[in-house]
Amino acid sequence: MSFETVDELITETADRLFGELCTHGAVQAAEETGGAPEIWSAFAETGFPWISLAEEAGGSGGTLLDALEVLRLVGYHAAPIPVAETGMLGGWLLASAGLELPEGIVTVAPDASGLSINADGTITGSAAMVPWGRSAERLAFVADGKVASVDPTAGSIVEQTSLAGEPRDTVTFDGAAADIAAAPDGVDPAALRFRGALSRVAMMGGAIEKMSQLTVSYTNERHQFGRPVARFQAVQQHLVWAAQDAALARMAAESAGQAAHRGAGEFEIAAAKLNCNQAATRATKACHQAHGAMGMTQEYPLHHYSRRLWSWRTEYGGTREWSRWVGHAAANQGADGLYPLITGGSTTPPRN
Amino acid sequence: MRFTPTELTPDELALQAEVRAFLAEELPPGSHEPGLGMSARHDKAFSKKMAERGWVGMALPTEWGGHARTAVDRFVVVEEMLRWGAPVGYHWVADRQTGAIINKFGTDDQRERFLPKICAGELGFSIGMSEPDSGSDLASVSTRADRDDGGWIINGTKIWTSNAHQNDWFICLLRTTPLEPEGNKREGLSQMLIDIHNTPGLEVGPIPFLNGEHHFNEVSFTDVFVPDENVVGQAGMGWNQNTTEMAYERGGPDRWLSPFSTVEQLLRETQDTELGERALELFGELVARWWGIRNLSLSVARLIDGGYAPSVESSLVKEMGTRYEIELIEKLVEFVDEELTLDSESLFSRLLSQCVLTGPGNTIRGGTIEILRSVASKGLQGLPV
Repeated sequence: MSFETVDELITETADRLFGELCTHGAVQAAEETGGAPEIWSAFAETGFPWISLAEEAGGSGGTLLDALEVLRLVGYHAAPIPVAETGMLGGWLLASAGLELPEGIVTVAPDASGLSINADGTITGSAAMVPWGRSAERLAFVADGKVASVDPTAGSIVEQTSLAGEPRDTVTFDGAAADIAAAPDGVDPAALRFRGALSRVAMMGGAIEKMSQLTVSYTNERHQFGRPVARFQAVQQHLVWAAQDAALARMAAESAGQAAHRGAGEFEIAAAKLNCNQAATRATKACHQAHGAMGMTQEYPLHHYSRRLWSWRTEYGGTREWSRWVGHAAANQGADGLYPLITGGSTTPPRN
Repeated sequence: MRFTPTELTPDELALQAEVRAFLAEELPPGSHEPGLGMSARHDKAFSKKMAERGWVGMALPTEWGGHARTAVDRFVVVEEMLRWGAPVGYHWVADRQTGAIINKFGTDDQRERFLPKICAGELGFSIGMSEPDSGSDLASVSTRADRDDGGWIINGTKIWTSNAHQNDWFICLLRTTPLEPEGNKREGLSQMLIDIHNTPGLEVGPIPFLNGEHHFNEVSFTDVFVPDENVVGQAGMGWNQNTTEMAYERGGPDRWLSPFSTVEQLLRETQDTELGERALELFGELVARWWGIRNLSLSVARLIDGGYAPSVESSLVKEMGTRYEIELIEKLVEFVDEELTLDSESLFSRLLSQCVLTGPGNTIRGGTIEILRSVASKGLQGLPV
């Protein structure tokens, strides 16, 4: 028994491609125009957005771990495209229910409680904070034991953005036509919440790592009092704290990915989201402080990462939601099971 | 720097189950006053029992009484002992580092004299590093050893020497070559092994801890003779020998598990009542962070087994882990919001009181977090550590 690894070719290719496509200017332009069709089409050509979805369902094959590695690099390069939504979230809903995967962008309603599937198979109601709703070919959601696939332009779209300036639209339907299928076991709103959280921790791990590296290099280049500011102990504290949180977040994300690859991995995902949310808070603070005024400008790239982290830390569950979830798991184990829960995670047997 | 996720193998999980069964039998909850991690009580009988199971000096070679186990095996045993609050104080230092130093740098004669006893849980070690004028700037130590027939004559004073009054031997960092005005102070230092209780000219006296407890000592040397056979490794190479071992000492469970028994006891004392949302959030945060830090710490042990000396990684983990211990104690104090006393009927309340009183030590002992940051930040910037 040992952890599965990701094919290095996936890491190298995605890293190189994102490095070429997601320049500071391109990420900035995506924010200003509300989309990045050139980045999307160049990236989609590789088939990477559909990794982890079965080839017979129209996906690219590969494992969940492969998909999470690509998402880590989405975070690392601040790639302004809906990779998670098209693949392991929305695409997963469609493929699991046997619905058609379109060629283009799929998005997902993170919270579908305001959407209803009518008796005639049409959709009514509204979903908020829908990533790239305006650019998606299909919006997928799960409710009432069914998965629905609907064209977002069949409804009305109010364009809104996250703190990172990424599209998070409100989509409202009034009897829109949809493809509907029964949701198989294990495909429900709770499962989507865990999966969504898992996608975010992968991205957060990458973004914190990039932010930490940017901060080390900036503080070595920036001179004050006749030397690089990184020579000052007060600044070194920020470097060390950011590096710790980068390590903690990436380790948490990768451990949760391994657990989810084998089973539901609910404990690990919950614990990882909690760690990443808090690591994001601490690391953005440390990195901004170390950058001084430069980090607050649009022209310097720190904000691509820090604002995405501020957005992702509250998506698919903030600190309160996940601390209560883990707290319940701890209370269910009781005192004698508390340490076994920390070491065993979701493989810990329930208390007798 | 890269922490790779890892998990316990079936053999390592079997060891974990064996240690848990031993502890449940030897120290059932409610039968003992748990300690706070590595500052747990000295209990020679308990150390002996652990040694009989092969859990002291685990990573040392079998020819010297060790068990040739891995750093991860030791991690598994140590984390269970610490989270249980088991009385590991007597063998702690010898098991964690002195045995490893003697094995790595010592002579066969030293290995034969010390390692079997360490592995038997029969030898407690103290560490002599800090002095009145040398704390974080450790290389500035001035306790000197002058050449004499067949050995060295020591004069000077070591302070903050934990448990010298309870332990048997002492590993001491000394200046064997006088420092020239422009000299490199990391050169000319040596490590020596000294019998604490049977050495003429060596005096041990208490430095009372802030609440009057006796942990710290002052150890003074007046013309103390140390024979050549007790010099560890090469005279003059003491600094390098010392820092090499730091990687092994720094990232382990003793740096993030000290208050665990306190949290466990809080849950034990409240588990028949419905936990409010605030309690659930608190337990959730604590458990999740321990899970995260443990994964990092375990991966450091795996790196050591891979033949790598993860000094930057282990400094990062120790800095993070000890700061987290303090943050956690503060959260508990705010959460319970009651007057604390060591005389409480509640074990939780006694443990938390002890956590508060000893807390300042967590981020100082074995290298302050400021020094750790300096080591880690050099590593991050690609400078020599």
